Amino acid sequence: MVLNGGIFFSAYDLRTLEYLQKGEIIFKNRVKIMTVNYNTHGQLSEGARKFVLFNIPQIQYKNPWVQIMMFKNMTPSPFLKFYLADGEQVLVDVEGKDYKQISQHVRKILGKSEEVLQSEAQAKMQASNPANFGPKKYCLRECICEVEGQVPCPGTTPLPKEMTGKYRAKMAESQE
Amino acid sequence: MFRVISGRSVQAARLLAPRNAVLVEAVRGRKSRTDPVAKSKVGRIKVPPPVDPVEMLVLKERYSEYELIMRALRLEFKEEVLRKKYEEETGSQAEERARQEEEEHRALINWNDEENLRMLKARILRVQKEEEEAERKKMEAAIQREQQLEESIRLREKEILQLQEEAKNFITLENLDQRIEDALDNPKNYNFAVDKEGKVVKRTVLQ
Repeated sequence: MVLNGGIFFSAYDLRTLEYLQKGEIIFKNRVKIMTVNYNTHGQLSEGARKFVLFNIPQIQYKNPWVQIMMFKNMTPSPFLKFYLADGEQVLVDVEGKDYKQISQHVRKILGKSEEVLQSEAQAKMQASNPANFGPKKYCLRECICEVEGQVPCPGTTPLPKEMTGKYRAKMAESQE
Repeated sequence: MFRVISGRSVQAARLLAPRNAVLVEAVRGRKSRTDPVAKSKVGRIKVPPPVDPVEMLVLKERYSEYELIMRALRLEFKEEVLRKKYEEETGSQAEERARQEEEEHRALINWNDEENLRMLKARILRVQKEEEEAERKKMEAAIQREQQLEESIRLREKEILQLQEEAKNFITLENLDQRIEDALDNPKNYNFAVDKEGKVVKRTVLQ
């Protein structure tokens, strides 16, 4: 059982959707590759090992287009390296740090901040109004007949006679 | 004869059909290609509905105007979308935003570099300390080893001296006769008695 503040009952808990969606680090668009060099033994790599165990799945879930690679036992001291789109490389030394500290540090230097995330969410909401009807690519529904509880599509089941246009027109004519 | 199609093939066929028509396709029905025409339909000539030229003219004009307006509106909206996108990517505000982001990025990277320097210094100190520790331990181990060596030497010397002392009382070939004579002259009595209080009595009668 791996205890982490919240309680995990097994290693599978680290891959549940609920856990993955709690990830806070969303990288800026310019981050393309993330590399973690750490050791499997030794007190100095403890934070890095925990970071790899707990936070990497969350990061990968939230950033599916970032390549993440882990290298073990190749370095005397653990570090993270980020490769950005314009060729810049960012080195982060994590020797002796706690995994929470590492996560906060990474979020500060290369993660999208709260305001940016919120403004993006706002823009997305504004762009997609659920009240619009149109092609499936842009809107939720194409016709009111798709909604449960509404009159079904006359293309599939014929309307009752009283609702058809020609019956109503005949009635209107016969009354005048 | 004609069947309304709805389903997966609709999307593809929709591209070919006119925009507003219900999508129908000709289905063979009951008769095949080679069957003769029905008796009731033998002399039938299909005549399309007659066209009223005046009405046709009016409709044509109205439709052309309508389509003109609709096309213009559509193009307007498309242009607006394109313009917005262009503004978003290469407008004046976009440049400012890009510059600001670049600045923030620079600042954060510098902060990160400072952190790295700090860690570097701490690491150098620690490595130095570890080296000193290792040196000290090595020295201590060497001293320990020397001390142990000295101890063992001393022990061995003591043993040798003790042995030398005892060698004075050894029985050799020259002493043999003399020692036998002494042993016979002085019989040693190893018997002793113990009473109930635990007192040992060594003066007993030799037999």
